[in-house]
This record gives sequence, structure tokens and C-alpha cells, in this order.
Amino acid sequence: MNTNNDFSKNVFINCPFDDQYIPLLKSILFTIIYLGFTPRIALERFDSGEARINKIIDLIKASKFSIHDLSRIKASKKSEYFRLNMSFELGVDIGCRIFKDGQAKDKKCLILEKERYRYQKALSDLSNSDIKSHDNEPEEVIRQIRDWFVVNELERADSGTIIWDSFNKFMADFYLKREKEGFQEKDIQRMPIPEFIRFINEWIIERRNN
Amino acid sequence: MVKISSKRKESKRVHIISRRDGWAIKKEGKTRASKIYNNKNSAVSSARKLKEKGLDVIVHKKDGSIQKWEKSKKQK
Repeated sequence: MNTNNDFSKNVFINCPFDDQYIPLLKSILFTIIYLGFTPRIALERFDSGEARINKIIDLIKASKFSIHDLSRIKASKKSEYFRLNMSFELGVDIGCRIFKDGQAKDKKCLILEKERYRYQKALSDLSNSDIKSHDNEPEEVIRQIRDWFVVNELERADSGTIIWDSFNKFMADFYLKREKEGFQEKDIQRMPIPEFIRFINEWIIERRNN
Repeated sequence: MVKISSKRKESKRVHIISRRDGWAIKKEGKTRASKIYNNKNSAVSSARKLKEKGLDVIVHKKDGSIQKWEKSKKQK
């Protein structure tokens, strides 16, 4: 099991935390752990006394890899504001790589969007960057993350389809176990992210030992 | 990368899983899906026949979560 102290294994996740995004987030967390890495996310700890930006900066400094999802930066309805946190945190991460010395120079990031080229309308500084689209599909986000790790770090990995199928099987085991423990549907859906991450880790270890 | 073991005992579950090109029926322990259907209802109808053989049919939503868990007719 990786620990949070291993820079070379840590993956900072910069994404929205709303209910609509949670299914995508779950597939992202699963893929990262499946491939042998450690997800680092602002939701991993909850301390009302800790300033959010300080927590984000700590996570960025501690992570060699980062995944930034810009698919929700556009307001979805009239009178709603743009959501700027994701692009702000992407800027902090890129700045960390550029201005900080040492291992920060090895940092690598994956930028995701819902559709190809849509981000250019709001963030033209990224026009020549290689950005991947997932079309809001967990299956596609798993494939994009898997391919990105294979290109940047791993020599080989299971196919995106195998990881997607494993995620579905994991979700069945997760549902069954929680239901047996007395959890209701809404408890399962809204489980705190650290608890969900623990369950993924336990599931992976169990399978590795069998 | 974590290597997931394939040596587990014979599973009694079959999954209906979303695919880019349709809906797959996939028995646990098998590497490949047995068949891909254009629509979900066809996949579920076909998989239900496996309940007679003692298999649970787990129908997934497009995001991988559980829509329905149909128990085998032989178990219990």
C-alpha cells in the first residue's frame, strides 16, 4: 500500500464535488488506485479550521501527478457564476512546476474537458496544450487516465475495458457489503470520499492476495 | 500496477455493463464479455435466462453503479 508521503505515487485530483460529478470522481479514484497510485484530494480530510487554499497547495506540492477536470467551469444555468476554482488550481499546479525547484520539475498533469476544444473559449492560454475529453462518461474517463499513465509513467497496464469492468464489479461488491452492514441507498450514494477510498484500497488488496 | 487475481472460485454473478458500442453481458471470472447488445433491454432479457442456471444478474447504470440486482432462482 502506498502512503501519502510518496511524491512519485501521489495524484492530485482537481475537480468539482457536486452530486452530478460524483460518479465520474468515483471512477477516477478507482482507476488511480487500480494502477498503483495514491489519489490526493481536498475531500480527503475535513477540518473546518484549515484554510482550503493551504490544503490545496499542500496537496499540489506533495503530488508528482495531477488530474484537472475543467468540464464544469462553464455556468450550467442562467444567473449562475463561472466556476473558477478548477482553473485557478490548475494555474497553481503549473506554477509549482515552473517556479519550484527539485522534484517539482518532474510534475506531470492531465487536463480533462467534457468536449474537445470547448475550453479554448474561456482559457485560450491552453490552446496548444494536449487536453483530453471524456464526454461525462466514466468509462471514457477511465480510458483517458489509464492511457495517460501508460504514456507518462507505466510501461504497461490492463486495458481501459478491463479496468472499467473491474470498476463495475467493485461497485457491486461495494453495494453488497454496505447493504449487509445496514447502509441505505442514500448512505451508499453519499458516502464520504475518504471512506470510499478506503473501501477501494481494501478491495484491491483482497483481490491481490487471493 | 496492481495485478488482480483471476484464480478466485467460480463466481455466480453476471454483470450487464455499459460499453461504448452498447451493453455487454459479462460473467465474473471471464476476461471478455460474452456478447454486446445494441440496447440495454435486450442485454437484460438475454441475461435473465442465466438465472435459471444459478447466476445472479447485476444490472449496472451507465456510471457503473447498481440499477438492479436480480437473484438467481436456484440460490437460497
